Amino acid sequence: MEIESNEFEIKAGDFAIVQRQGYTKLHKLKPHGNMLIGKFNVEMDNVIGQRYFDTFQMKNSPENKKMFILEKVEDSTNATDALNIEKSGTDNRNITSQGDTQSLTKEDIDKLQDSELNSNAIIYELVNNSKTFNMKTGYSQEKYIRKKEKKYFEYLQLRKPTIRLLTNMFYRQDPVKTLGIRIDDLSQILTYANIHSEGNHLLYDSGTSGLMMAAIMNAIGARTSGTLIHMHPGNQCQKNAFVAMQFPEEQKVRCLNVNLYSVIRCFYQDTAKEENYEPTRKRQKTEDPSSASTTKVEEEAPKQPQWQLENEKACRILKTKCDSLVVTSKEHPVNLVKELLPFLNGGRQLVVFSLTREPLQDLFLYLKSRLDIVAIKLSNNFMRYYQVLPERTHPEVNMNSGGFILSAVKLNC
Amino acid sequence: MSFDGYKATVKEGDTVVLYLTISQVYSIKAQEKTINKKGIEVESVFQTPYGALKCAELVGKTYGSKVSLSKGWGYILQPTPELWTLTLSHRTQIIYTPDISMIIFQLELCPGSIVVESGTGSGSLSHAFIRAVKPHGHLYTFDFHEVRSEIARQEFDDHGLGQYVTVCHKDVCENGFGENLNGIVDAVFLDLPHPWLAVPHAVKALKESGGRICSFSPCIEQVQKTCLELTRLGFQEIQTMEVLQTQYNVQTKHIPVKDLDFLKMAKSENKSDGAEKKESEVAKFLTAIPPMQQPGHTGYLTFASLYPIWSRKLGISIDENETD
Ligand SMILES: C[S@@+](CC[C@H](N)C(=O)[O-])C[C@H]1O[C@@H](n2cnc3c(N)ncnc32)[C@H](O)[C@@H]1O
Repeated sequence: MEIESNEFEIKAGDFAIVQRQGYTKLHKLKPHGNMLIGKFNVEMDNVIGQRYFDTFQMKNSPENKKMFILEKVEDSTNATDALNIEKSGTDNRNITSQGDTQSLTKEDIDKLQDSELNSNAIIYELVNNSKTFNMKTGYSQEKYIRKKEKKYFEYLQLRKPTIRLLTNMFYRQDPVKTLGIRIDDLSQILTYANIHSEGNHLLYDSGTSGLMMAAIMNAIGARTSGTLIHMHPGNQCQKNAFVAMQFPEEQKVRCLNVNLYSVIRCFYQDTAKEENYEPTRKRQKTEDPSSASTTKVEEEAPKQPQWQLENEKACRILKTKCDSLVVTSKEHPVNLVKELLPFLNGGRQLVVFSLTREPLQDLFLYLKSRLDIVAIKLSNNFMRYYQVLPERTHPEVNMNSGGFILSAVKLNC
Repeated sequence: MSFDGYKATVKEGDTVVLYLTISQVYSIKAQEKTINKKGIEVESVFQTPYGALKCAELVGKTYGSKVSLSKGWGYILQPTPELWTLTLSHRTQIIYTPDISMIIFQLELCPGSIVVESGTGSGSLSHAFIRAVKPHGHLYTFDFHEVRSEIARQEFDDHGLGQYVTVCHKDVCENGFGENLNGIVDAVFLDLPHPWLAVPHAVKALKESGGRICSFSPCIEQVQKTCLELTRLGFQEIQTMEVLQTQYNVQTKHIPVKDLDFLKMAKSENKSDGAEKKESEVAKFLTAIPPMQQPGHTGYLTFASLYPIWSRKLGISIDENETD
């Protein structure tokens, strides 16, 4: 299989995930531009024209002490040179205090860093100036080096965004921005809702930075027949993750982004467009002032505005009903589900996510009281990672807790 | 033929899910005749706790509608991979939906992906793989147990999924996945007793531009060996995890509330019936109750990435996992 050479080429305009050790950040590349990576200000120009997964080394810029430039690493023999470390102690008995054993000052370290960012060299200095390093056990030495390496690590890679990378990145940066959806939650929402290449899917999402719509569109896929109606509460929908995925146009247009209020009004009232236009927009602005600020005022051309066309398209699909309903909302789900269930076909799945359990308990009881809903399930997951190393395998010391998922099936009656 | 695409009504020969209660879910074939144990063709009748169901009666019914049983009723649903996992006949240990979801997600499958699976087992995971990669992707599934392979092949055909899957009868540890798959695969999944023996073959099968691998193992020793082999062969982002799901039952609970205030006063000071009534008050609350017992372990999931060839040789691990 030949690799299409430009499929992996890094181009200006691309969204890329910049990865440095455990750190990842989404970045839109420009022909010339800088990016803040950790505490380093890095000029990104040299990555353009290179390939994703290439490794770049941060080097001090010759012109500006405070800047770094990137250089592609062709050969890593220097980079992987093992540190020469003196024999380790067998236990910690001789280490009395943890702090103040480093004789290098912060200024010394900054100076090192300014002359050349080379994690091996810096760590070498740190180790040589540590009074206790040689007394540490091999294990603590390794741990110390790993910690320092992370801080001074000078290599990075660019990755094409994938749903997995984005979900992990968002969760690590700030779970609140994606309503606290963890990978296990997201993975199960997609399976329980039976999202795949076919069918018309319906999503109401009010706060996952576009992650839900991106994940669903990714599962629907390119060159397939599936569509998504994405209802959102604001004037403009959040779509960071969706934009980052850079789906082909053909796939993008199968995601209809509609405002919850205006599409429902359109569905039930089907009133003259002109009358509806102004009041709707004003209303939306008051509903979600935060997103309104980023909105350009649409030009009132004689032809129908894009949002109205999308509304009408969505309404046509809603009339034939949808094959799944997913709700990931900030708001209490009962009323939303009540309003959206009429758009779901019989024999199809409904999935609702919430970081807290109580709203889903209410929803559970509400759905149970309906005669057309069965197989109501409320669940959450225990998920943890493992460190797997010879003689040192154990669950990771830190873990977190995910959210709750309610799934159910609507009947045809 | 009822697994491919959304269907409105039951056709002759469809596999149909019969839903009675949350724990009574079955899959049955909508057909008039079946072969009984003695090899004789008889009328196909499905016995449920609520009475018998003549399978032929299902034909023409709408999915999602009610069916009458002699002592009650049930609902018929179009099968999804999740419902199939709940109702299939176990020929081996199977993988369940929480793990399946994680596997599909972490392997980054989407329509068009080419995925390799071994072993096929009971085909629980295979159905979810097929849903994720169709219509233009493909699943190659391997098992060295001939009968299991054959049953799985028939089942996929029967479910209308045959065009999306190739079932191979083969020992993958000994013989790999075959020349024809060299360098064309996006993801490899292993559920084998000795997964590390198949990892070198996975490297051959994965595209030059890289791909993902997952190994599911119940035992930590298998995980350790697999991780060593993955590291040796240059895989990156090696990560082991487990996912366990708890399902809750939502109930309104009533618990008695004790009010002992009245004890602080002499009997004469308060009218005793009022105080007595207060003592036996009840508090009402809505809660979610986990089952008394549930699986505490299914298997460890190990995931890893094979990077594109141009970045395999550099020994720099960018994605160092945060370990303490
Ligand atoms: C636990 S089952 C897989 C279950 C499957 N994941 C599911 O969800 O239904 C493991 C299967 O691997 C097969 N197997 C074991 N070793 C094998 C080998 N070396 N090559 C091919 N198949 C193998 C067994 O025959 C068995 O059917």
